[in-house]
Formats: sequence, structure tokens, C-alpha cells
Amino acid sequence: MTAVFAAPRLTLASAPNRQLFAVTLAIMLSALPIIVALALDDRVFQDDNVWLKPLKFQVALCIYTGTLAAFAMLLPEDSFASRRWRVWIGVVIAAIGYELIWIGTAAALGTGSHFHVEGIWGLLYGLAGASAVTLTALAATMAPAFWRLRSNPLHLSIAVGLALTFALTVLVAGTMSSRTGHYIGTPITGARFPVFGWSAEVGDLRLPHFLATHAMHAVPLAGLTGSRSAVWVTAAGFTALTLWCFACALQGLPPF
Amino acid sequence: MTPDQLFQLSSPIALLGWIALAASPLAPRAAQIVSAAAIPLLLSVAYSGLVLAFWAGTPGGFSSLPEVQALFTNPQIALAGWLHYLAFDLFVGAWEARTARAEGISHWLLLPCLALTFLFGPAGFLAFAILRFSLVGKILP
Repeated sequence: MTAVFAAPRLTLASAPNRQLFAVTLAIMLSALPIIVALALDDRVFQDDNVWLKPLKFQVALCIYTGTLAAFAMLLPEDSFASRRWRVWIGVVIAAIGYELIWIGTAAALGTGSHFHVEGIWGLLYGLAGASAVTLTALAATMAPAFWRLRSNPLHLSIAVGLALTFALTVLVAGTMSSRTGHYIGTPITGARFPVFGWSAEVGDLRLPHFLATHAMHAVPLAGLTGSRSAVWVTAAGFTALTLWCFACALQGLPPF
Repeated sequence: MTPDQLFQLSSPIALLGWIALAASPLAPRAAQIVSAAAIPLLLSVAYSGLVLAFWAGTPGGFSSLPEVQALFTNPQIALAGWLHYLAFDLFVGAWEARTARAEGISHWLLLPCLALTFLFGPAGFLAFAILRFSLVGKILP
């Protein structure tokens, strides 16, 4: 009797997307001087070294662009190489550059970036919001190319994951940006999740933002099983988890 | 000429070189003549004259940070240090422009690196090295 479960076929059709690969490398290398600054600078902003936030954003953004560059390997060569695609990816790279320069400049000045609305910072924060939506939209715009090949469960999972990343991130991060800070409630003990630094005491919208944005990683993991139903179940479950954590945060509670 | 007057004169001269680099796609050869040779060499002549004339009478040295700081308490030597920055930053900027052109790196991407090299020399050099490695995969000259 032959095995009924076929091993998932991970066929790489092309090289990583050139533009996204280059920007991933550039973000990674530009973290080096930030790490040096982190080691040398004693200044603290909201209980963290001023350089921790720029470093976190560099890590997050190079995971984002690196993942998208890698996903493109599953599509035929030149899927994102037309002039329109190159211009669009260029716009996204500019948005990422703006985001990092804005956060880095605020860190160098020892001041806030997100939620900082005094004077010129209000304008810069508004621009950062537009940049953030732009760069997240890249995930959504790449999704249809994978959806067309959805007979392959992995391509299906990537399409769904990318679409969820955009939809959930815009929902959670959009809500967060309409408020005056990422906390809902006032931390007293300052208890926090290790590494990530979310409050373990009050509502912290950064936690559902993290989950929302990583739908593009969680759902494709299910795609690797080769089962279409696993993809849909994971997508539904992950969406529910994200929304539940979002609801907890809005009520001023940590989810765990 | 006082150190102040020489300082006042040196900045616009260097700036001219940076403008030439920013506009270098229009006249690459001329930009290199101005920014990789003429202006850096002019600044180097002024630097060398200042060091020859004032080094001996200045306290301090190279062997500790306080000694280096002491060097710069002399205005003529501080001016020489400033000309050193202007000359070498521009020379590096000219190398960036030349390399970008030879390796097909977009001038639009070069421009922020030039700005950074103009303002914070080594940070701009690093930015260009990162850009070049990311796009062309090369780090060596």
C-alpha cells in the first residue's frame, strides 16, 4: 500500500526578489552602527535604552522584506520584475527608509517617534502612518500572485497569510495609532514579557500588532503540511487568536 | 590671513566640490577633476602649510585622547584638522560617485550617501558601502 500523505513539495522556481533582497541586506548591515550606539549610549526613553526601538524596527522590517523576497522564490522568475512592480517596490522601500530614519532620528534626539505629535513631530508621525500603511500594503499586493497558484497548498497559505497580515495589521495598528500610546491602562509594577517587552500587567496593543503582522509566517507554516484544510484551520485559528488578544488589550488586560 | 578668515573661505570651496558631485551625471569627468583632485589638493596645500607653520609650537600629541584634545586648543591646528575633514571627506565622496557610476548604482541612491559623507564623513562612507554591498555584492575598491 502506498503512503497517502505526500510530502510537501517545496519547489523553488526562481531567485529571491532582487530589490527586496537588497533592502533586507541593507537594513541588516545598517543595524551594526545602531548596535554600537546601543552599547555606548546611556540615555533611556520610557524605561528602555533609546536605541532599542530602532534596532527592533530594523529586525522586524528586515524579517518582513526578507520573507517577501524569499516567498517570491516560489513564483516564476520575473513575477515582480515588470516596470510597475519595480516602481511599486521602490515606493515601499522608500517608505521603509523613511520609517527607519524617523525612528532613528527620534532616538538620536532622545525623544519619542510614535505618538509624538508636538510641533513638526506631528507632521512626521502622520507621514510615518502613511509609510506604514504603504509598506504593509506590499504584502496584500503580492498575495494575488500566490492566490492564482492556490491549487498548491503552500501558495494558498502564503496568499492567505499575506492578506491576513495586511488586514489584521491595518485593523490593530490603525486602532493603536488613533490613541495616545500603546498601553491601555497604567502599568504599576512594570511587569513585561521577556525579549518583546510588552506589558504583562495592562493592555498592550503591540502584542496583537505583532501577531497580526506575523500571520504571513504562521499561516504558511500550515501550508508546509501540504494540507489545504490545515491552511484554512490555521488561518481561522490565528485570526481568532489575534482578535482575542486585541480584545483583551482593548479591555486593558494582558492576554496571558 | 587669520584662521577665522581661512575657515570662512574653506567651507564654500568644499561645498562647491559637493555640488559638483551631486550634479556629476551631467559632467562626470569635470566633477572628478574638481572633487577628486582640484579642491582636495588645494585644501591639502593649505593643511600642509598650517601644520608646517604651527605644529612645533602647539602642545599635545597623538598618544592619548587628552593630548589630541590639547592639539586642537590651538586655532591654527584646529583649522588644519577641519581642512583635513573637508579634503578627505570630499575625496571619499568623489570615490563614491565614481564607483556608483562604474557599477551602475543609481545616482538617486548615491545622493543620500553623499549628503551623509558631507555631514558625517565615515557614516556616509559606511552607508555607501552598505548600499554597494546590497546592490552589487562588492565591498573592495
